[in-house]
Amino acid sequence: MTTTTKRPRGARTKLRRRVAGLLALGFGLLSAGMLFAAFAPQAQTAQAQQQDALVRQGEQIYLNTCLSCHGSSLEGVEGRGPSLVGVGDAAVYFQTSSGRMPMARQEAQAIRKPAKLSPEQVNALMAYITANGGEGPKKPSESGEALRGDNPARGGELFRLNCASCHNFTGRGGALSSGKFAPALDGVSEEQIYTAMLSGPQNMPKFGERQLTPEEKKDIIAYVKSVTDGKNNSGGNALGGFGPVSEGLIAFIVGIAALIGVTLWIGAKA
Amino acid sequence: MSGDKPVELPSEAELAEMSRDELVRLGTKMDGVELVHYEEKFPVAGTRAERRAQRSVAAWFLVSALSGIAFLGVFLFWPWEYESPSNETAHFLHNLYNPLIGLFLGLSVFGLGIGALLYTKKFLPDELAVQQRHDGPSTQVDRATLVAELADAGDRSGIARRSLIKRTAGLGAGVLGLGVAAVPLGALVKNPHSDSETKNSLWHTGWKAEKGEKVYLRRHTGNFHEVSLVRPEDVEPGGFETVFPFRESERDDEHALVAALKRADAPVMLIRMRPNQAITKRAGQEDFNYGDLYAYSKICTHLGCPTSLFEQQTGLLLCPCHQSQFDVFEYAKPRFGPATRPLPQLPITVDEDGYLVARSDFIEAVGPAFWERKS
Repeated sequence: MTTTTKRPRGARTKLRRRVAGLLALGFGLLSAGMLFAAFAPQAQTAQAQQQDALVRQGEQIYLNTCLSCHGSSLEGVEGRGPSLVGVGDAAVYFQTSSGRMPMARQEAQAIRKPAKLSPEQVNALMAYITANGGEGPKKPSESGEALRGDNPARGGELFRLNCASCHNFTGRGGALSSGKFAPALDGVSEEQIYTAMLSGPQNMPKFGERQLTPEEKKDIIAYVKSVTDGKNNSGGNALGGFGPVSEGLIAFIVGIAALIGVTLWIGAKA
Repeated sequence: MSGDKPVELPSEAELAEMSRDELVRLGTKMDGVELVHYEEKFPVAGTRAERRAQRSVAAWFLVSALSGIAFLGVFLFWPWEYESPSNETAHFLHNLYNPLIGLFLGLSVFGLGIGALLYTKKFLPDELAVQQRHDGPSTQVDRATLVAELADAGDRSGIARRSLIKRTAGLGAGVLGLGVAAVPLGALVKNPHSDSETKNSLWHTGWKAEKGEKVYLRRHTGNFHEVSLVRPEDVEPGGFETVFPFRESERDDEHALVAALKRADAPVMLIRMRPNQAITKRAGQEDFNYGDLYAYSKICTHLGCPTSLFEQQTGLLLCPCHQSQFDVFEYAKPRFGPATRPLPQLPITVDEDGYLVARSDFIEAVGPAFWERKS
């Protein structure tokens, strides 16, 4: 056995060496090609061209839908709309994807409505505003569930400290001055909550990344997502989410009515 | 007692002969009660109707027993611990815990009650009884004898003659009474605010520097034991943040770290104005801000609610309790609502390490008015 296996083994090692050499060569060629592809100047120009196209598309959208209130060079128009210089793409994303912009009319505050711009148009507009208005707060690269932190309890603590005074402790919203209001947070996407905290739309204060770190913001989003969209209705109905006032009132009215009803019934049967 | 016809009492021999039925009749008669109508619900035992009535009562008691068992089962074995909504079935089951406990316990009590009610309705005999009304006071004799008995009992105790016991008893009761009265009356005698220079007096807050120690601005990160100090660049223009006092000596004192976040007079709103915002400062407080950063007490000067509804464009701080509005573009002066005084401003600056610190305590008392406060 030992003699018969010796010769093929020698042949095999030679074969193996050849295959290994071929593989190494192929690998080297491939990585060189990939490196070339990554650093090749054409790729950059292509990307830049793509970016240019996006900005041009965004410019068209801006001219059609935003110009009358925000001015021809993003400087804003007195009494109509604020300047968009330095607002960043987070603000553009929040305002347009939530349908607040373009506004239907001038009123106490822009309200949420079905988005008028498609996601592609929003992207183009974001590119245009950052290209012309400079960098500002940036929309996070993650989206959806990836923006939910893993500690909704801490998120709840932070929400009650920073957000609950206006938005209510389970995100039901509430009144502000002169017809303005903090909206309820039902059906608001993770990206919108994040960009709203970053950009401080309308009368909402800004919460920068150094004040609330990205992790803290994600925890807050996890908390909001765990109490909104009908997820906090242990009793079947949230009763407005105001807490003990409405709950106590309903319990009192329903409970007392039931007691009176039963009493009357017993009295009638006796 | 009831009236005109005194009841004829039976002799001892007659009493021994009487049946229970007769005894009952005699007893009610002595109480002045007369049965006018009496009818058994089921005069013939064992009819189908009687058995049906029995079953319906028993069914309610069974319902009560079963739901009692169900209540125990849910209470002991149901998954009661909180589940996040992302875990849909577990969250749903957790949500059912409270309603189920209430349902089964309620049903158990309800079944017991309805069973008892049905039993009295279906099985107790129909009877109509008339009782003569007892009117007027007790007779002259009854009243005179009762008074004599009470006076006699007092006399016999001999307390009137034993003055030592009387006096010591009075002393004991009097001292106890004084002790009880001292609690509510004490605060009216001693002025709790006479020492106005401690941070626990109404005139000062947790921001008061003690022994020359620096008081930093600290943010609450959701973790009560974490120390996160605030730097000027942390707050964006148009942003605001609630801050609390912190001293280096508190760093390893967990109790003090938690207490600082919970002190009622401590919360301060650190607001960063947007650039080029026109600000009117209060006379004498022109240097209380640090650049665009202004720090105002969060305690409403009306009744002490947190005024943390900040509108960054209009610069209004709203109080949710009674709708007071304060204008941060004009030294947090009240614009609307029942508050009459501006929110006190905390003088702040930056130390050599770039952290925000309080230059001193508030120069006036924070929060609602109190008796000794003159403005």
